[in-house]
Amino acid sequence: MTVLDPPARTTVAPSAGPVAPGGGPSVPPASVPLSFLAAAGVGLALFGVAVWLAADRLVAAPTHPGAVAAVHVGMLAFLTTAVLGAVHQFAPVVGRRPLRSVLAARLTFVGMVATAWLLPSGFAHGPEGLVAAGGVVGAATVLVTAWNLSAPLSGRDGGVPVLGLRLSVGFLVVTVAFGLVYALDRQAGWFPLLPHRVLAHAHLGLVGWLGLTYVTVAEKLWPMFLLAHRPRARAGAAAVALLATGVPVLALGLLLDVVALTWTGGLVVAAGLVSHLASLATVVVHRRRSLELLHAFLFASAAFLVAALVLAALVGLVPVGTVVRGRLVAAEVAALTAWLGLAVVGHVHKIVPFVAYTALRARGVTTGPGGRPLLFGDLFHPGAARLALVLATAGFAAALVGLLVARATVLAAGGVAVAAAGIVVTANLASGPRRAGAQLTSRSTP
Amino acid sequence: MSDASPSAPTDAPASTDDWIREQRHAAVLAALGQVWDPELGLDVVSLGLVYDVRIGAASVDIDMTLTTPGCPVSEQLPAQAQAAVQAALPDVAVSVHVVWEPPWTPERLSPMALEQLGLARRR
Repeated sequence: MTVLDPPARTTVAPSAGPVAPGGGPSVPPASVPLSFLAAAGVGLALFGVAVWLAADRLVAAPTHPGAVAAVHVGMLAFLTTAVLGAVHQFAPVVGRRPLRSVLAARLTFVGMVATAWLLPSGFAHGPEGLVAAGGVVGAATVLVTAWNLSAPLSGRDGGVPVLGLRLSVGFLVVTVAFGLVYALDRQAGWFPLLPHRVLAHAHLGLVGWLGLTYVTVAEKLWPMFLLAHRPRARAGAAAVALLATGVPVLALGLLLDVVALTWTGGLVVAAGLVSHLASLATVVVHRRRSLELLHAFLFASAAFLVAALVLAALVGLVPVGTVVRGRLVAAEVAALTAWLGLAVVGHVHKIVPFVAYTALRARGVTTGPGGRPLLFGDLFHPGAARLALVLATAGFAAALVGLLVARATVLAAGGVAVAAAGIVVTANLASGPRRAGAQLTSRSTP
Repeated sequence: MSDASPSAPTDAPASTDDWIREQRHAAVLAALGQVWDPELGLDVVSLGLVYDVRIGAASVDIDMTLTTPGCPVSEQLPAQAQAAVQAALPDVAVSVHVVWEPPWTPERLSPMALEQLGLARRR
């Protein structure tokens, strides 16, 4: 299976005209991905605040409404919003076809932001109608998203990236449908929030939707970022296939509380995640440039994935009491969140400068400091990016440890660090392009 | 496709046509030297992405490749290269052909590019 076969030969002739911002006519306006990513930055900061405020409940009872609210801020306001922004940019590039509608993409943004705040507010404070409204808005939003993305993802020559994204969007739809049932059932109570059902929902969202999307996108982005020409990309293709196969089995096993199914699905998912790590290793081995900041994010992120796999194995293999088991499961979910969170924060330091760069060039901003050509590195402050790495890594690590040892103060400290990371990364990536754009304004001012 | 170096020929020009050809060749390389990969911070000549430059009477044809197929950033480079050379030589038709054979390898990097990418020791 190939990642993406290039055309044998293309020609840029005088009549070809300018290249659209983002690299071709397929991509949406820069404001589409950037609006999602800006909202996700705010979401990360508020996720940290929510963890801080709900730390005692997260430690004592992870299914307490306050804890559920905090978790949903992270899943929806941060991770899902960020990943949706990236997918709206990425899918048209790999599928070589545009979205069905830019307006629908903007509706997805509005709907997802609304869902990301209606649901947690309803969980934390009520009234009950807020949760139901959040569920309905979220479901409608996801249907619009799936319809809109179906155009770029319908191509037959997109290889692993397109195939993986098709499946991950399918998991998004299933995850939200699952959540909608919870949201509408809170009055009737025929589908109670039993721990194994909550875990089915969590793993559908974290591994099926967010994880599979990341694993898929990474197969395309990592070789580019590291100038890695691998002889084969089997590990990455295997990761996508194993995750796509294993997640439904794992989710079904958890949902129905069937141990054999849970084990089977869990082992297949674990094999997929190990393949993903193996793929990262091959990219690093075959790299043709030195390691940089993004790779520190990737390695920290991968460490949390290893931690999640170890914790999941402990839950399955070690006979422990209910209390310890609950801590291990909570820490495993936190580790998966940290894996994805650090990966997102690292990659936005590539995605935002790229999208902003092409938009700035289209506006006539072509030079950076000193008059040399504008570079991605001109669009953010490297020191602030390193600070974001330290804060996010420390914050997620403290959150994981706090859940494991049931110390609310440690978890709260982690939340504060994550909130600070969100503020730093958002401010850094928002101010860089503004500074570059201001050069044009100052040049054109008489 | 010829794998000729894009650098200018060293022999003395035999005629006015040859002299014009050499001047245009130099102008093309100078213009391409201003087209930078925004991720790597290097120009396309130093990166070894320019495989061949063919100077005709009223045309310039450039064969270039990209470091990675399908990269949305690098896919803008051919258009930028075309625009840069066209600006330098407004009286000729400039065409940039993106080719994938032979595949780009780090061996094509200039010594300066190797250093900047961290693949060679800094002097």
